[in-house]
Amino acid sequence: MARKRSVEDIQTYAQDIVDTVREPLLMLDTTLRVRSANRAFYQTFKVSSEETENRLIYELGNGQWDIPDLRTLLEDVVPKSSVFNDFELEHTFPIIGRRIMLLNARKLQAGHHGELLVLAMEDVTERRRSEADLEAIETYAQNIVDTVREPLLILDKTLRVRSGNRAFYQTFKVSLEETEERLIYELGNGQWDIPNLRTLLEDIVPKSSVFNDFELEHDFPAIGRRVMLLNARKLQAGHHGELLVLAMEDVTERRRAEEDVAKAKEAAETANKTKSLFLANMSHELRTPLNAILGYSEMLHEEAVEGQMDALGADLDRITVAGKHLLALINDILDLSKIEAGKMELFLESFDIGEMIDEIATTIRPMVDRNGNTLHIASAPNLGTMHADQIKVRQGLFNLLSNAGKFTQEGTITLDASRQVMDEREWIVFRVADTGIGLSPEQIVKLFQDFTQADASTTRKFGGTGLGLALTRRFCQMMGGDVTVHSVPGEGSVFTLKLPAVVTDGADLLAAAHLDLAHPSEGSETVEPMPTQDCVLVVDDDPVQRDLIQRFLSKAGFCVRTAAGGEAGLRMARLLQPVAITLDVMMPDFDGWSVLAALKADAKLREIPVIMLTMVDDPDRGFTLGAADFATKPVDWERLCQILRKYACPNEPCPVLLIENDGVARATTRSILEREGWKVSEADGAKVGLESMRSERPSLIVLNLSTLEMSGIEFVEHVRQHHEWQSIPIVVVAADELTPEDKERLGSSVEAILYRARNSQEALLEQVRDQVSQGTRMRRGR
Amino acid sequence: MTKILLVEDNEMNRDMLSRRLERRGYVVVLAFDGQSGVEAARSQLPDLVLMDMSLPVLDGWEATRRLKADVITAQMPVIALTAHAMSSDREKALEAGCDDYDTKPIDLPRLLEKIEALLLGDKRNLHD
Repeated sequence: MARKRSVEDIQTYAQDIVDTVREPLLMLDTTLRVRSANRAFYQTFKVSSEETENRLIYELGNGQWDIPDLRTLLEDVVPKSSVFNDFELEHTFPIIGRRIMLLNARKLQAGHHGELLVLAMEDVTERRRSEADLEAIETYAQNIVDTVREPLLILDKTLRVRSGNRAFYQTFKVSLEETEERLIYELGNGQWDIPNLRTLLEDIVPKSSVFNDFELEHDFPAIGRRVMLLNARKLQAGHHGELLVLAMEDVTERRRAEEDVAKAKEAAETANKTKSLFLANMSHELRTPLNAILGYSEMLHEEAVEGQMDALGADLDRITVAGKHLLALINDILDLSKIEAGKMELFLESFDIGEMIDEIATTIRPMVDRNGNTLHIASAPNLGTMHADQIKVRQGLFNLLSNAGKFTQEGTITLDASRQVMDEREWIVFRVADTGIGLSPEQIVKLFQDFTQADASTTRKFGGTGLGLALTRRFCQMMGGDVTVHSVPGEGSVFTLKLPAVVTDGADLLAAAHLDLAHPSEGSETVEPMPTQDCVLVVDDDPVQRDLIQRFLSKAGFCVRTAAGGEAGLRMARLLQPVAITLDVMMPDFDGWSVLAALKADAKLREIPVIMLTMVDDPDRGFTLGAADFATKPVDWERLCQILRKYACPNEPCPVLLIENDGVARATTRSILEREGWKVSEADGAKVGLESMRSERPSLIVLNLSTLEMSGIEFVEHVRQHHEWQSIPIVVVAADELTPEDKERLGSSVEAILYRARNSQEALLEQVRDQVSQGTRMRRGR
Repeated sequence: MTKILLVEDNEMNRDMLSRRLERRGYVVVLAFDGQSGVEAARSQLPDLVLMDMSLPVLDGWEATRRLKADVITAQMPVIALTAHAMSSDREKALEAGCDDYDTKPIDLPRLLEKIEALLLGDKRNLHD
């Protein structure tokens, strides 16, 4: 009894376990009748135990399990083996609809129950559906990948190919079979086993998640030499793990096209140079015979005049005039080709403007008179001299005047000249006004272009090459000026030629710099003639700043040369050996400090004083002087001098104590003080200063606050406590703005605090003057 | 009588310039290339040399250098004549030792001025 109960207990226990299994289970006997089912079965298939137990499996739920595949399984497969796994059955069940069931079976020897078959049914419908979805997504992704025209390879972490896209197979003429699951290096008989690619994939890729535009040039056996642009991206691709997408763009054609363009450009540039050279040579060749024609006709003319053969003389004169005209045209072409080749140079000299105008008037008057015109000269008195390329100024004015004469009949041609100040700079302004046919706005647009006259018919009617105005403008621009025109058709034209009163070669260099920009391949090695006078070299990358510094330095009478960058600056420094250099701190190619270091490292340049300039944020402030290598602090000297005069003692020379720890600054300041008539004693620090005061009481102290061992402020306090020294005026030179506390401490015990100059062009000027005079002394000393 | 050596390979230029100079009273000696120019300077000892720069055999720059290197001819003023109106040519000529420089086409009054200035300077030096 007890044993039976315990057997029942075990059965119940087994049934409980079976019921807790969430997968539907059926227990069948060898006749395929249901012995029992678990709770999950009844729930899943919505049937009761009454309509299930002891029934043939095929009869269950109105025969919903009478499925051919299941019959085959149960009747053919099961009897032959004791187990079967994962038999997938797809069937439409009347109550629960279409399902995919995964069947697993196991035969059990269940004691007196005999042999039982446990049939477990797992509903995998959902799982299969999501798997199908996933597959659809992957197919979708693959389709996208396949439509990309760029070859793509998807690699796993071990650099094995997961897949390639259609473009890959087509481009590299390989099949899917010989690609997938292979190491990338094995593909197509090792055609991808490229050292650069190995480096890329094995060294670079592991360290970064992306690389862009890696250019690979390789001779691929199937497709020949190609340039491939590789781009890669690492992806976290779910269960696929980390994948690397490698995109290969064939840029062979593009590179070839780029090369072609570069070659074409080079060819065009060469052709242009050849043209300029041809023009230059041609003009030269034309001038040689013309030389003879002119020479002989002049000679014959002289003989004719001497032999009193006047009729012959007039004819010979005509030959000479025509020949000279031809020569002028050839010269224009030569000039223009020289400008184009960047070989035009300026010959700067000082000359009297009035004299030049008189000479031009004498030359041009016969030409102007020819059309019944009157020439009127109306230049301002006392024009004085200008510094420019006289030949080019003459040529420009001559052009404007002869044009005016050509296009005016029975009218007036006026030349006036004046000296004007614009933008803090002196200009000489020439105006050529006529009462001729005038110009329409359309004609004005074309006016200054090379080989273009206002109207094609003009050429036939009035002659000329059409180069005159273009040349005039180019010449003016080379000298830092320009030509402008104002005209009313039918009433006349006014041409205004504006030139700096003092043209500097800097303008030339600026022009050269522009040329460099236009033709970077030519480099900036425009070898300028060595200047005859000593020059200041301005090194600044900012054209506006460069122009500004150049302008006011040249206005102050310095010869100025400019360089647009550090390297050019160094080169020009070597070439020019300037008396001083101003150096911008912030420059792109290499900054001012590096240039300074290079200057100081060069034995030939070491001695040249350098003034460092640095821009401040506020553009209104113009430029601020930074620490100069020589002068350390750009002190406002003028202000210093004023103060000095105020404290000068009755009997000169007055003793002044200069406390400055920087030797060069001390020397500079000393020279200023001495120039102002002071007797200077120096101290390189505050302590030494105090000691020297004990032997001689100065009537003024000039103190650099950043003096090292004892602070400047302490020094001031010391002096003020000493009753004999209390009344000595102290001028403090501070490198930076003082803090309010420092100011308070100094209070009334100092006479003036000079900060390093801001916004002070004057100070820079002083600085340069000072450095130049110092430099000159040094040179003389050598 | 002032003797001028004209070294010029172009026949017309040579003929023209020599005739014009002769008409003004100079004695003109001719040479057709740099080499013969140097030889003529040594043998004829002219007061001044007008030297074309682009000459056959020996160019004007080299001929001038040789003249200036020879004690016999070193003091002879040399005026470079060149068709190249570029300052680099001028500098090249002055570097070679030319005392002055003029561009072609020859502007006779201008050239005469330069000739006279050099001859005058020369004489002044002699008198000093």
